[in-house]
Amino acid sequence: MASKLGLAGGIPERRVRPIWDAIDSRQFKNALKLSTTLLSKHPHSPYALALKALILERMGKPDEALSVCLNAKELLYKNESLLMDDLTLSTLQIVFQRLDHLELATSCYEHACGKFPNNLELMMGLFNCYVREYSFVKQQQTAIKMYKLVGEERFLLWAVCSIQLQALRNQQSAMEYEHFPCLELKTNCHLFSVVGLLQKLAVTIPKIGSNLLMVALAQQSDLVSGLKMLQPFCKEVLCGNGGEKLLLLAEGLLKKHVASHGLHEPEALIVYFSILEQQAKYGDALDILGGKLGSLLMIEVDKLRIQGKLLARAGDYAAAANVYQKILELCGDDWEAFLHYLGCLFEDESSWASETINTPINPPKYVECKLTHLTDEVFDSCVENASAFVQKLQAEASNDSLRNPYLANLEIERRKCLFRKNNDDNLVEALLQYYSRFGHLACFTSDVEAFLQVLPPEKKMEFLDKLMKNSNSLSAVPARALGQSITLLKTQELIGNMFNLSVAKLEGSAVQMAELYCKNLPLSKDLDPQESMHGEELLSIVCNVLVQLFWRTRDLGYFIEAIMVLEFGLTIRRYTFQYKILLLHLYSYFGALPLAYERYKSLDVKNILMETVSHHILPQMLASPLWADLSNLLKDYLKFMDDHFRESADLTFLAYRHRNYSKVIEFVQFKERLQHSNQYLVARVEAPILQLKQSVDNIEEEESILESLKCGADFIELSNEIGSKSLTFNEDFRSRPWWTPTTEKNYLLGPFEGISYCPKENLTKEREENVRGFIERKSLLPRMIYLSIQSASVLYKDNSEINGSLADPKISTELKALLERYAKMLGFSLNDAIDVVVGVSRGLKPYEVFGSDVIDWLNFAVFFNAWSLNSHDSGQQGGERTPGSWHVVNSLLENYILGKLRSMGPLIESPQGDLPILVKLVTEPLAWHGLVIQACVRTCLPSGKKKKKGGSTDQSISLLSNAVRDAIQSLCSVLEEVAKWSQDQIKSPEDNKIDLLVSSLKRNGEAGKVFNILETLASSPNETELGDRISQALRSWSPVDVGRKIVTGQCRVLSEFWRICESKIKSLKTLKQQIAQRVLMIL
Amino acid sequence: MIIVLLLQFNMSFYMTYLARWPDYFHVAEGPGNRIMGYIMGKVEGQGESWHGHVTAVTVAPEYRRQQLAKKLMNLLEDISDKIDKAYFVDLFVRASNTPAIKMYEKLGYVIYRRVLRYYSGEEDGLDMRKALSRDVEKKSIIPLKRPVTPDELEDGISESFSQGSTSIY
Repeated sequence: MASKLGLAGGIPERRVRPIWDAIDSRQFKNALKLSTTLLSKHPHSPYALALKALILERMGKPDEALSVCLNAKELLYKNESLLMDDLTLSTLQIVFQRLDHLELATSCYEHACGKFPNNLELMMGLFNCYVREYSFVKQQQTAIKMYKLVGEERFLLWAVCSIQLQALRNQQSAMEYEHFPCLELKTNCHLFSVVGLLQKLAVTIPKIGSNLLMVALAQQSDLVSGLKMLQPFCKEVLCGNGGEKLLLLAEGLLKKHVASHGLHEPEALIVYFSILEQQAKYGDALDILGGKLGSLLMIEVDKLRIQGKLLARAGDYAAAANVYQKILELCGDDWEAFLHYLGCLFEDESSWASETINTPINPPKYVECKLTHLTDEVFDSCVENASAFVQKLQAEASNDSLRNPYLANLEIERRKCLFRKNNDDNLVEALLQYYSRFGHLACFTSDVEAFLQVLPPEKKMEFLDKLMKNSNSLSAVPARALGQSITLLKTQELIGNMFNLSVAKLEGSAVQMAELYCKNLPLSKDLDPQESMHGEELLSIVCNVLVQLFWRTRDLGYFIEAIMVLEFGLTIRRYTFQYKILLLHLYSYFGALPLAYERYKSLDVKNILMETVSHHILPQMLASPLWADLSNLLKDYLKFMDDHFRESADLTFLAYRHRNYSKVIEFVQFKERLQHSNQYLVARVEAPILQLKQSVDNIEEEESILESLKCGADFIELSNEIGSKSLTFNEDFRSRPWWTPTTEKNYLLGPFEGISYCPKENLTKEREENVRGFIERKSLLPRMIYLSIQSASVLYKDNSEINGSLADPKISTELKALLERYAKMLGFSLNDAIDVVVGVSRGLKPYEVFGSDVIDWLNFAVFFNAWSLNSHDSGQQGGERTPGSWHVVNSLLENYILGKLRSMGPLIESPQGDLPILVKLVTEPLAWHGLVIQACVRTCLPSGKKKKKGGSTDQSISLLSNAVRDAIQSLCSVLEEVAKWSQDQIKSPEDNKIDLLVSSLKRNGEAGKVFNILETLASSPNETELGDRISQALRSWSPVDVGRKIVTGQCRVLSEFWRICESKIKSLKTLKQQIAQRVLMIL
Repeated sequence: MIIVLLLQFNMSFYMTYLARWPDYFHVAEGPGNRIMGYIMGKVEGQGESWHGHVTAVTVAPEYRRQQLAKKLMNLLEDISDKIDKAYFVDLFVRASNTPAIKMYEKLGYVIYRRVLRYYSGEEDGLDMRKALSRDVEKKSIIPLKRPVTPDELEDGISESFSQGSTSIY
């Protein structure tokens, strides 16, 4: 920063430099002192003030910093004679940005640019401000001004990028419109979203959007018909030809500039192409590419790629195929080019169809292709051409490891299968050939996965059988032979053959794999510990087989054995992340979540991996009592995302400055992709809910948290908007074990029957629905909690004077509206939902009617009770007066929780079970109910203000006191049982539990065979063969230690849960005493 | 994704490279859109020190031993040579990372100098170089006789000092 110094705001550099030096070396106190001295000499210098503000902000005094900054801003505006230098403005900008007041920085620059309209430096600063605000229209206007001023190509391109971003935003809005259920008027459950959408519209197209918004708001009472009226306008605005006009404008600007000045930057040309491409003007783009400007692209193959794509999109497939041939001759390993080449031969444009930045991270395994439009003759001739070309590529391949020409062969055979449906034998043959060449490579199975998918099950088996026969003729080179053997096993796993094997055979194969692992361990003798070891994958496959044996037999021994195998592997090499991920899931399932979290942490997940990899642990943690760890997890994740959103614009500006315009577009789209991340939205809702759970036993603390959350208002907005928000899914599921392929599915939890193989279907659509529903419901919670407290708090307050009316009608109305929404999300009207909860509480209906939404149903019952406390019409709605709704909640919670508890065995013997649901029950509906109780008790207690004694108030209080007392009693007894259950397990002797685990591996004839093989190896390692490092690691192997860690991990979960229960019991007992005293006072 | 599990920089580091030197950032993609490896680097320096720099090159475990790193390195060298007309390409590697050093030597890199305590102030780094066609006399790769300290590195190079290292693991 110091290097930027000149004469700033009339202050000589020598006076300012020491301040910057102090800031740079983080000596803020000293910097502040120097800045005070400077200010005493230049009290009216905005720059001196800006410096002071900067220091204050760095010292963690945001309020003071803001006030000083505003002072500087005022002086800047007032003093006409002062110079407007960029140093002052950029210093102010830094502070305003850090204080989250971008708009103030922008207005400073706007003011300065207004005063000095021809100052390029200031205009660049202003452009930067608009980049930070994502104000594309203003960016465009500013860039055009700069372009007019100096005529430089870069400013024109800044404007063009800004236009392109507007066009993309329009496209996005149109997509959201398409997804918007309300405008289709099929349902009115997203009514609230309409306003959200129109607000967005008002930002996109300010004039029309604002008008629509106003009309819509005016019509809120009958929004559906209002919208019907507005629908054509919405469609016009969102899906109209605004985007086309923008692109035409960008093209016009470029064309004019090219005519007068030409183009000098390759990136400018790329932008030009993309603008033409978006308008389907492929011919124009091809002309430019073939002309003088084309020479800007200096790498031949890059030029060819653009040419091939443009030709194909223009429909000139023959010419495009020729171009792709050239590309493949230059770059034999460009797989995408080969797919495009085939696409051109078969005149099929689907290989260009999926070019969007928002595609999920797990794309479908298939390469899309359409072949039905071809006649037999055309198809045959295409195949002939392609095969001849591929053979040529194979012959010319310069090295043995080039897979592409051989994969190409598989792709041709695959398309033949798809076209004729009777070409399976040829594909099997091609696969065998691929195996004979590349079977030893670790990527063999992922390479052939898509090709295997087109084969019917019996052909897959035939391929596998032939591979098995091959296993007698493995390579003479040990490492290569091992690679081939592993490929066989992985293919078996991929095809799903293992599901057809008997338990004995399955066990036999696990034993064989373990032996193979041990036998080949010496191959890794001299490897660096950070290098992958030979045969490492074997233990992962063994684990999967053991998991399946556990499925089939429900013998816990296999499950423990799977853990032991992986822990053994990690003892030998602690870096193997595949083992850690598998273990993480096994430990989660076994209720040893602290161990799972430890394994997760050892993956060193940070930066963007928090978005793509945290799915391994986040869902389990959300249902756990490990609140401190969960809080860290959420905090780190949200911090990463929010930091990125904060700095993303600066990076975008960097791309502008370095004239890498395609990156400008990518960065903006990437930021939007992250902003729409389903996981991010979930975390944003879950983080405050966690805070609410943590403070729920102290109503004052809870209220201050609610206050910091604006009483839940922002979350209501999120719930309103979510229906019209497009969500992105960035989780990388490829690293998950196949027995828990997504966060929603875990086959260990059952059902176990009927699964022949892990599903590979794209689950994004289904997940999107689930996440939307989840966020919509969950984000209502903070507000409902707030209103419930209010509802219970206004009760009887000065009420006798107001015509016997019970309470604040606003609260009651809003809570009722939210209850209606909540009920609707559960699939019922409010009255029907009330009937359901009442029915279940009376034993007239089974708990099963709640389905998987049991927590939501119980929450509903709790909030319904809170609303009943403060409502006129609760009698009509629920058919019950207040004490009735208390009883409904009490008995629902009591019966359900105790029922669960009685059906649960000790954690050590029955992994997973219902512990997560038990934790949710206690920390959500039960906790919210406790909060309502606290609010009631507080209201009943005498406050500083004297209340009237006697009469109906006391009677009512007495009635309520009885209801509250019963509720406290009911919750206390439930919690005591839960706490006792936890405590019993914690207290059971550790050694017994470890024995139980280890002995499950040592029963004759059942689980433990693999474990024995590993134990034998570890008990007498051959140091000469294995080397020092591996031998030492083997000697340190201790299964008892693993057992102890599991037991300790489970105990920690139980202890945390017990602590939560105890805290609630304590809080309830205090309330009980308070209420008893109050009753005594009344009497 | 798995690759990034092995070598992680923060977002602004990756994005700064993308924003400034997009030609030096390449991903190798296999069938099924699987990422096999990536390389990132930059071009910098003055006069005869104008050179390409390999900041990171990584190959996913599944795709190792197929000369993928070599292809990625050749791509970067080609761009430094033909587009930017640089004199040489250089990279830093941990002095203890023998397999990586051997690989770079196979690719034509020589140890130009040792940088004392380059990695987190603990381990020495080796600055390896490969001359490009513009350096006809191969002056850029004549090894220095004495080791240097990180402070003595030219501006820009030392930036990667705190961020990490190249890796073929």
